Amino acid sequence: MGKTDRITERQLSVLIFVSLLSPMIRILPASAVLFAGRAAWLSTALALPAGAALVGFTRWARKNAPEEMGLADMALAGLGPVAGRVFDILCALWLTFYGGFIARSAAERLLATVYPNGNTPVFIVVMLAVALFTASGLTKTLSRTAEILMPILGAVIAVVLLSALPDVSAGNLLPVTYRDLKAMAYGALPIFDVMAASGYFLFLAGRVRRPKAQKPNAFPWLILLAAVAFGVTFFTLGTLGEKLAVSMENAFFMVVRNIKVLGVVERMEAVVVTVWIVTDFIFLAAVLMIVAEIWRTVTGAKKRAVFVAPSAALSGAAAFLVAGNAFAFQRWSDFIVPAVNLLLAAVLIPAVMAVGKLRRRY
Amino acid sequence: MLRGKANAPAPPEIGEDAAVSAAALEAVFQGCYDFEARDVNIGGDTQRKARLCFIDGLVSGSDVAQQVIRPLTDPGRFGDVRDGGAVIEMLLGGSVYVYTAKRRDKLGPLAGDLLNGFCALIFDKERTAVTFEVKSPQRRSVDAPKEEKVIKGAKDAFVETMKVNTTLVRRKVRNPHLKIKSFNLGRRADTAAALVYIEGFTNEGIVAEAARRLEGIRAEGVLTSAVIEENIVDNPRSPFPQIISTERSDKFCMNLLEGRVGIFVDGLPLGFLAPGTFSQFMKVPEDHAGHFIVASALTLLRYMAVFLTLLAPAFYVAVAMYHQEMIPTRLMQSMIEARASVPFPTALEVILMLLAFELLQEAGIRLPSPIGETVSIIGALIVGQSAVEASVVSPVVVVVIALAGIAGYTMPNQDMGSALRLCRFLLVLAAIALGMFGVATASAILTWHLAGLESFGVPYMSPFAGSEGRHLSRALLRRSMTVKRDREPELKTGGGGEAKL
Amino acid sequence: MKKAVCVCLALAVALSLTGCSGLTIFSNYRRLENIELVRTVTVDSQGGGGVNVSVYGTAGEQSEARMYERSGPSVGVAMGKLLLMPLGREAILSHTEALLMGEELAKESIRECLDYVERFSEMRLDTGVLIVRDGTARDLLAGLSGADTPASDTIAGLGRNIARVGEGYFFTAREIASSLADNGCALVQCVRGVEEEKLFEERGELNLEPAGFAVVREGAVCAYLTDQETLGAILLLGKYKSRNVDLALPGAAVTVSVDLAQTELEPVFDREGRLTRLRVRLSLRANVINVAGMADITDEAVRRTCEEALTEQMTGAVRAAVRRGQELALDYLDLEGAIRRKAPLKTADMPDAWQDIFPLLAVDVEGKSVLARTYDIADPPELFGKEDKNPWEKLIESLKGS
Repeated sequence: MGKTDRITERQLSVLIFVSLLSPMIRILPASAVLFAGRAAWLSTALALPAGAALVGFTRWARKNAPEEMGLADMALAGLGPVAGRVFDILCALWLTFYGGFIARSAAERLLATVYPNGNTPVFIVVMLAVALFTASGLTKTLSRTAEILMPILGAVIAVVLLSALPDVSAGNLLPVTYRDLKAMAYGALPIFDVMAASGYFLFLAGRVRRPKAQKPNAFPWLILLAAVAFGVTFFTLGTLGEKLAVSMENAFFMVVRNIKVLGVVERMEAVVVTVWIVTDFIFLAAVLMIVAEIWRTVTGAKKRAVFVAPSAALSGAAAFLVAGNAFAFQRWSDFIVPAVNLLLAAVLIPAVMAVGKLRRRY
Repeated sequence: MLRGKANAPAPPEIGEDAAVSAAALEAVFQGCYDFEARDVNIGGDTQRKARLCFIDGLVSGSDVAQQVIRPLTDPGRFGDVRDGGAVIEMLLGGSVYVYTAKRRDKLGPLAGDLLNGFCALIFDKERTAVTFEVKSPQRRSVDAPKEEKVIKGAKDAFVETMKVNTTLVRRKVRNPHLKIKSFNLGRRADTAAALVYIEGFTNEGIVAEAARRLEGIRAEGVLTSAVIEENIVDNPRSPFPQIISTERSDKFCMNLLEGRVGIFVDGLPLGFLAPGTFSQFMKVPEDHAGHFIVASALTLLRYMAVFLTLLAPAFYVAVAMYHQEMIPTRLMQSMIEARASVPFPTALEVILMLLAFELLQEAGIRLPSPIGETVSIIGALIVGQSAVEASVVSPVVVVVIALAGIAGYTMPNQDMGSALRLCRFLLVLAAIALGMFGVATASAILTWHLAGLESFGVPYMSPFAGSEGRHLSRALLRRSMTVKRDREPELKTGGGGEAKL
Repeated sequence: MKKAVCVCLALAVALSLTGCSGLTIFSNYRRLENIELVRTVTVDSQGGGGVNVSVYGTAGEQSEARMYERSGPSVGVAMGKLLLMPLGREAILSHTEALLMGEELAKESIRECLDYVERFSEMRLDTGVLIVRDGTARDLLAGLSGADTPASDTIAGLGRNIARVGEGYFFTAREIASSLADNGCALVQCVRGVEEEKLFEERGELNLEPAGFAVVREGAVCAYLTDQETLGAILLLGKYKSRNVDLALPGAAVTVSVDLAQTELEPVFDREGRLTRLRVRLSLRANVINVAGMADITDEAVRRTCEEALTEQMTGAVRAAVRRGQELALDYLDLEGAIRRKAPLKTADMPDAWQDIFPLLAVDVEGKSVLARTYDIADPPELFGKEDKNPWEKLIESLKGS
């Protein structure tokens, strides 16, 4: 009883939402402010329609596809067995590296904020071990975990943002005119980059139940994600100003460090940082699960759990080897990884889906 | 030194299908001092006898004498009936004043009836026996629940006799569709059990699954609740309870009316209910007795208590050991002052206090009631106070552990409270190892574990997970009784099963 | 498979419980009882490029606060030496409320101190930054340490009170760093020690008083604002809760409490889009809290005189603050930001740079004051120079007579 591993669209949306909070806090607000300056807090308004268009496109592309067909199957069907496999393996390899990057990024963030005398290995090892454990389980368990933790995350984010309100200065946010639109559009790119990463979860789409009468569930979560992106950018930029927000590595957590909740509870960055670590856990587990799912499809294996451990090991190697120090890692974090993500998630994946759709393979 | 070989030959099995005879039955119960057998003259005729067998202690001697022997030996009643078969028919037709009479022509069921408090009249010639239910009235009377306090509700708790329990349920749920399906569990104890559900209302799949799991129990006997709980739950390795057990008949019936199946086991003063979800373990029947706003506030308080009992000690350890920046300046100064003479590191302090708390609790449970309460109170006061005065522990630790402990006691279900106490230890260890990161990691693993649990196909954490975000308010709040109450959607109840036919 | 994963996970966690370096976070572990809670840090210039750093900390509520000092070529090095404190204690800086810099150091550069606050993960951006005038920060801290009230409490108390009464404002490290980054200049609160007389003691107790704002350009102090200029800056920046102002009237003195000062800026552009003028309109609301002398505050004419006097005083302060900024060519009041918010497109289209315009910009300051209330007393008490006696005296006399 209850042994099938199927989830609903809402559960997938919640999983995506919680997972994407992890890269969001890495990229925002520095990247957005770098491009858009003072107007960065409005860039979300431009990123949202682009994100919605991407989600709408994927819905259209999958509309007539069989329920069990994930993105890996769609690539095989759309591009053919050889080109499809190449695409799938490319994604798997990139996501394996990305998993290590997530672990390393979280470890660096912990060191920079609440564990100044710590070492990255302990955090990377623990994170990968936990992610390995959870990724070996069922998709529905991971998505339910995200569902349970989501209100707690939301409450913490809401409390933090509201407590930061007294420190927000209008001078750091205004003025913004129509002339800033171009800068805002550039500033929307990092936010769209985060939204586009939801495309990786299409590899798990084969696990989603799609009753015919069900209303689309993804858009409210996209709006919520955009709202969090807006909040993080607004409050960080409003508190620190343009130049400080760009120069700081973890600007949002610097803001958190200085807030007082109801004037009583202060210095709660340790709580906020570690609550955010939970999003890293979930994202990392999801990525390992996605990689395993891809390999299962590519090799035709029955179970995907066998691929989780090797993927986790490779991700671990990537986490340790990606950069020798925080400075080098910052280059990966600021430029290389976002660029590749954008290319893969926002361009290549939709293109592959479009090819399959146009060829009427699904 | 135990005599006898471990692999000694088994005694001859009762042939379930063996023919009925007094000799065969007496052979089965040979060596049992409480097995009684005597001849009874039918209609007072010494030439016509039937063998009366029963197990002394299980039957009511006076009922046997008055209701069975007396009418049977009455010449006016049976004097002219010569045929054994006719006697049997008269017996089955009500000539003796016992409300349950069964015909038995196989040895297995006959022996089973004797063990269930029946007496048997064996007619060797006809190879038939007639059994009469004359159970001894010795049983614990229905009293107020002892483990689940009742403030404003019915005070009729379940007892060890299953029939009494089912009667309590029938009185509350007067529904012809209420089905009570019986089972015999345990290879050697043959314990009676019953599955209770409302036909047409309770989900058929859950009923069938519950029946299948009960029948699949391979234990020797069902004498403790753990045999049932660990054998029929989806994940027996999880310390979290996955089926509800209750002494209270009102709680049992409320859950039946929400679409759950109930299970009784003869000899256990408990009713079990499945599926059990986390939110159910946070509810008490008093929630439906008081005002809905007050009930809602108390339910929210209980959820807060869950976080407090789980996280308070771990949070304190993490903050005191690694994240002192979180402590406000004034509090920090008084904590530094308080800890100045404490020889143990914070980690050891907290673990010692947690262990002491658990020991006091165990001592309080094991000791007889008046002493146990006194020991708990004195232990808490004296040990706690003395420990602080002797600078063995700091006052803040005592406060934190006491708060966490008291929060744990607000759990309506003791099994849930025990599971949370266990997890509390693990979270403290994680905090010692890795600070707030450890707390977050352990919390994530715990959440993942809970998310993975299911109870008869229903996600354990519904409606928080697996319910499409609907009906969250049902778990956290109680709506007014004037508002139509929807049934729990995850139980997928049917549309029928109404009280009126 | 899952068992193997569980074992690996358990091992990973168990390893983190050992003392193996690199695999634990025990390097972040501190025993509470060994902590020295630093609440105030002072940095002074040693001359020749070095700094003298002292910290003021307590071990607990009952224990005596102590001051420790170390020198070094940089703040970081000196602070590092301070970690090697005597008595085996460990200083933590996460509760530091104030950073005091000596005047000499401030004239050289405050950047190093701000950088240390920004980078060092223990320190917070909401730490108040102060410049000590007429002496070194270390001497001031030492002097305050001898008082009954802990020095940190004295400093924190001043911070709370001066914002409340509009005498100054403890700018935080974040505000200063943000202002330096955006405008190239910033204001920093100055303090000085004053000796309070104490009966029967040779030396009085050292107390702290505000000493106006210092103007920092490119990380170093370049000027100090007078009291009037400081008041003007406080009004324009809105860093106050209320401010008591004495108004001199003919034959009387009235003290009012200004609880609202709204500033409205109106930039005036010419046809070519050049900013030619800046009008500053000040709207004040005040309440009468003290009347000395023969002033009938219920009289509308008297009130109007008060309002005019208040307006003149406040606009004078604002004018002085703006003028000083123009003299220094430093927009420490962020007037550019205010003008940009008012007329963003015109500001963006200005042909000349703000740095060139600002020093020569004509600034008109106008004001309007309103006395809102005088609290409970409607009429002034008839105490002097009136024929009518006190009613109680009248009653007593009448009783004597009867």
